[in-house]
Amino acid sequence: MQRFVSWVSPLLVATALVAQQGPPDARPAVPATAAERFAALKADQKKMMDDWQKAMREAAAKPKDKEAPVPGKPIAAMPMRPDFAPLVKTAQKAADDFAGTDDAVPFLLFVVQNSTGEPDGLAAALDTLTGKHLDHAGLAQLGPMIGFLPRIVPADKAKVFTERLAKSANADVRGWATYAAHQETIEKADRAGETYRVARLELEKAIAEAEDARLKGEIRSAIDTREKFGVGNVAPDIEGEDLDGVAFKLSDYKGKVVFLDFWGDW
Amino acid sequence: MYPHERSLVEEMKDKPFALIGVNSDKDIARAKKAIADNNLNWRSFTAGPKGTQGPIPTAWAVRGWPTVVVLDADMKIHYRGHDGDKATEVAKELVARMTAGK
Repeated sequence: MQRFVSWVSPLLVATALVAQQGPPDARPAVPATAAERFAALKADQKKMMDDWQKAMREAAAKPKDKEAPVPGKPIAAMPMRPDFAPLVKTAQKAADDFAGTDDAVPFLLFVVQNSTGEPDGLAAALDTLTGKHLDHAGLAQLGPMIGFLPRIVPADKAKVFTERLAKSANADVRGWATYAAHQETIEKADRAGETYRVARLELEKAIAEAEDARLKGEIRSAIDTREKFGVGNVAPDIEGEDLDGVAFKLSDYKGKVVFLDFWGDW
Repeated sequence: MYPHERSLVEEMKDKPFALIGVNSDKDIARAKKAIADNNLNWRSFTAGPKGTQGPIPTAWAVRGWPTVVVLDADMKIHYRGHDGDKATEVAKELVARMTAGK
C-alpha cells in the first residue's frame, strides 16, 4: 500500500494545485523528492507497457486471413517493446538534478536498463554509476547485464566499466564483473596455463563471497562445463527412467557413439 | 531440430550409433505429444517434474537448450555445445572411424 500512496500522492497534490490556480494550460507540478519522481517514472513506464500489451493483444486477435502476406509487400512489424526514449530522457534529467548524490542512482540505472538507440547516454550513465557510485547496493541490479556490456557499449569502455565493477564493495556486483572478465578464459584458455589458474581462483573466490544464487550457479556451471564435461573427459553415467517409466542407463549404450541431446518441446 | 535428429537416427540405424535424449519438459504428457506429433524416433531420459532444473541437467551443468554432448564408445566426450550440425559432424566422424577399423 505504501508504494501505491507514494506515487499517487504527488498526483493528488498536482491536481489540487491545478484546480486552485485554474489556468487551462497548467501543467502538473513536478514531484519534489527523488523517491516521488522515481515512482512517477515507474508508473509512466507501467502505463506504457500496459498500453503496448493491449495493442499487441488486439493485433493478435485480428483475423489473420485478411492480412495474408502479399509477395513484395513488407509485413508491418510490431515493435519488441514500447519506445521508452521519452522516459529515459526524464530519468536523465532527474539524474542530473540529483547528480553526485545517492538519489541519482535509481535514475541512472533506469537509463542503463531502458535505453535503446542512445548508446552515448547509456555509456555516460554507466560511467557515472561505476565512477561515482561504485559501492551503491543498487548496482547489483545490473547483474547478468555486466556480462553483456561489450555488446551495448564500445569494447574499450566495457573493459573500463567491468574493471571498476570488479572492485565494488558489493560482492554480487564484484562477482558478475569477475565472471564477465574471466568467462572466455574458462571456456577456451589452456587449462594447464597460468591465465586459467588465476581466472579459476578468482571465480572460486567470487562464488564464496557472492549471495546471488544465479551468479553462483552460472560460474559453477562454467567451471564444470570445462573441467568435467570438456572434450577429452569421460562422461559420468546417467541412471534414470525413460518417458514410459522404464529404468535405463547411459552406460547401456557403451560401445556405440552417443549423441546425447538435452531437448524440450517449447 | 526435430527433422534433423529424426533423419540422423534413420541414417545411422545400422551403425554403432545411438541418439539419446534428456527430455527437459516438466510435463511428460507434453513430451509424449511432441513425440507423437513429430514421429520422434529416439529414447529419452526424463529430467523429472523440475524440467530444466531437474537432476540430470543440473548434474551435467546444462544451462542452455538444446545442448548436445557427443560421446565415443568409451563415453569420452568429443563435443559439447549448442551446434547440432557440428555435433552431427563429430558423431559421424567417430562412427566412420569405428567402422573403418573393423
